[in-house]
Amino acid sequence: METGNGTLLKVRDLRTYFETEDGTVKAVDGVSFELQRGETLGIVGESGSGKSVTNLSIIRLVPDPPGRIVGGEIVFAGRDLLRLTEDEVRKIRGRRISMIFQDPMTSLNPFMKISKQLMEMTRLHLGHNKAEAHDHAVKMLETVGISDARARAEDYPHEFSGGMRQRVMIAMALSCKPELLIADEPTTALDVTIQAQILELIKKLKQETGTSVILITHDLGVVAGMTDHVVVMYAGKVFERAPTRELFALPGNPYTKGLLKSVPDPSAEQGRLYQIPGLPPDVAHLKPGCPFASRCDRVAEICRREFPPFVRLNANHHSLCHFAAEVYQESRAESSDAS
Amino acid sequence: MTEPSGLIPPLPPPSATPLGEPLIAIRDLTVHFKTGKDRVVKAVDGVTLDIRKGETLGLVGESGCGKSTLGRAILRLTEPTAGQVIYRGQDLAHLSARQMREQRRHLQVIFQDPYASLNPRMTVGQIIGEPLATFKLARGREAEQRVQELMETVGLSKRFVKRYPHEFSGGQRQRIGIARALAVDPDFIVADEPISALDVSIQAQIMNLLERLKREKNLTYLFISHDLRAVRHVSDRVAVMYLGKLVEVTGARTIYDEPLMPYTKALISAVPVPDPEIEAQRRRIVLQGDVPSPLNPPSGCRFHTRCPYAIQICREVEPALVEIKPGHSAACLRISPDSPDIDRVPSGEAPGLV
Repeated sequence: METGNGTLLKVRDLRTYFETEDGTVKAVDGVSFELQRGETLGIVGESGSGKSVTNLSIIRLVPDPPGRIVGGEIVFAGRDLLRLTEDEVRKIRGRRISMIFQDPMTSLNPFMKISKQLMEMTRLHLGHNKAEAHDHAVKMLETVGISDARARAEDYPHEFSGGMRQRVMIAMALSCKPELLIADEPTTALDVTIQAQILELIKKLKQETGTSVILITHDLGVVAGMTDHVVVMYAGKVFERAPTRELFALPGNPYTKGLLKSVPDPSAEQGRLYQIPGLPPDVAHLKPGCPFASRCDRVAEICRREFPPFVRLNANHHSLCHFAAEVYQESRAESSDAS
Repeated sequence: MTEPSGLIPPLPPPSATPLGEPLIAIRDLTVHFKTGKDRVVKAVDGVTLDIRKGETLGLVGESGCGKSTLGRAILRLTEPTAGQVIYRGQDLAHLSARQMREQRRHLQVIFQDPYASLNPRMTVGQIIGEPLATFKLARGREAEQRVQELMETVGLSKRFVKRYPHEFSGGQRQRIGIARALAVDPDFIVADEPISALDVSIQAQIMNLLERLKREKNLTYLFISHDLRAVRHVSDRVAVMYLGKLVEVTGARTIYDEPLMPYTKALISAVPVPDPEIEAQRRRIVLQGDVPSPLNPPSGCRFHTRCPYAIQICREVEPALVEIKPGHSAACLRISPDSPDIDRVPSGEAPGLV
């Protein structure tokens, strides 16, 4: 991967571990990826894959203890966030990097008017006075599509629906024009019609502001429609990394392939769905070898013995698998058969 | 509830032509919740629907549309306010508590949250075995044997029989819930969002398990979900609900390929497709606004506040669910058997208009 002027974020060999009664949980273990300015990167994975911890690490919000970032670099706009003091990080967090979470109700203060919560952001980070901050808050609410924003700004969070609360979160996250927006499952708690609204809104605002986005989700459909690049995580590791179109068309990892096949396709016949057997591994007790070996349909002897290499399939496409090249070739053959 | 139990008035005709024998005939079922003086939530408001023997009927809709309440009301886990649920010649809605308990043997439920629906102080063996004792189906050695068989059937190792729910993952807990529902050899299972809380790879496992069990045990399912992709995959027919009413009922294939109702169309177009090529090209109907509160549903057609095709009459007249095409019913004033295609209908003047 080239580091051009366009690189906003470069995560290299990130390791975030948790000390638990059950031993050390390597929640994130050697994760690397890059994000270019203006791009959207999707991070996909199932529960326990480390996708959320990766992003908590980027904004330095890993609860310590029990969590600790034990290694790696997170270079944001040329500076390694892991080497900054807590004060320096606080100036970046919320201003240059902001985030929205799955459940907007738990991220909003229930006792504070919407306007006040929005005003806090710009008063703190942009030095707005009260009147400026209030005007800005109303403008942001209008931007995210809250009708009658001036009046609604004086409401409390419980007076808003789930979709509107998520709009408020987005307004808050974007109020200081951040360079990076991290959205962790931003639509998982919402209905599909509201999800469609929120995703369209994120797309539109991204185009207007040029903000880069990291979108964490378990929904491959959302990834397909929203992202330029994808990182697939499993058991704290990056299993595959590729441009979005390439990943869906030519997956080079058996786990990715299995995931893609196990989503029901409305245009296909009904019948037995492909299923990945077994359960995600217990990250506290990983066996040697590939963490996916026990669930993999092409497991070989070497997979149970040796940790797989991160194979470069082309300049932008990597896969963590002993048989990455073969899997990639098979995907090629399948896609030319289909067309 | 005025009719004495056991006395069943003649059935009005169901909205869609039945192909199979109805196992459960729901007639004008209504569930209202009082939430204060003069405030009533019409969670389910006059639903008429046949669930045919051996089918999986998918029930979809957004949160607050009443789909779970409908499922619960069929089983009397929530008391219906009015209407009938005919099963084996009896109206479940009007049975006494004792009579209903007997019927529960045949009518089971699987819940969304396998964490909340299993007693944390009971072992897996006790959880699965409890219905056997309740209905006096087996005891002692025989019951143990039966529990082990059930565990095997749902893909749980017999070794886990003495473990507690917290020792299992979400998918395994859902298997425990399924085994418990199967213990009594039911005819009918309401599966209320059975895969929503699970990871993608586990969702496929549970969907496949439910399908296999249906085949092996001649089950009939009401599969309630907000996930249209999943519903389309597992169901034979699909019913779409909006604010307490059914708005469209037809085959699972048809609902995706040729939806009639503007709401169904919007719902389908909102579902992201895991294919970047398709996502880049597709045009989405993005509905404006939120689902209105069921406390104060809109007049006329409840969808009119968000419908791009709504005209004045939609605000005034409530549409009935009528058969537009054979086996395909919809509740929309702007389409009829003579002009079933909403896209050929001139757009309206509602706020939903983009």
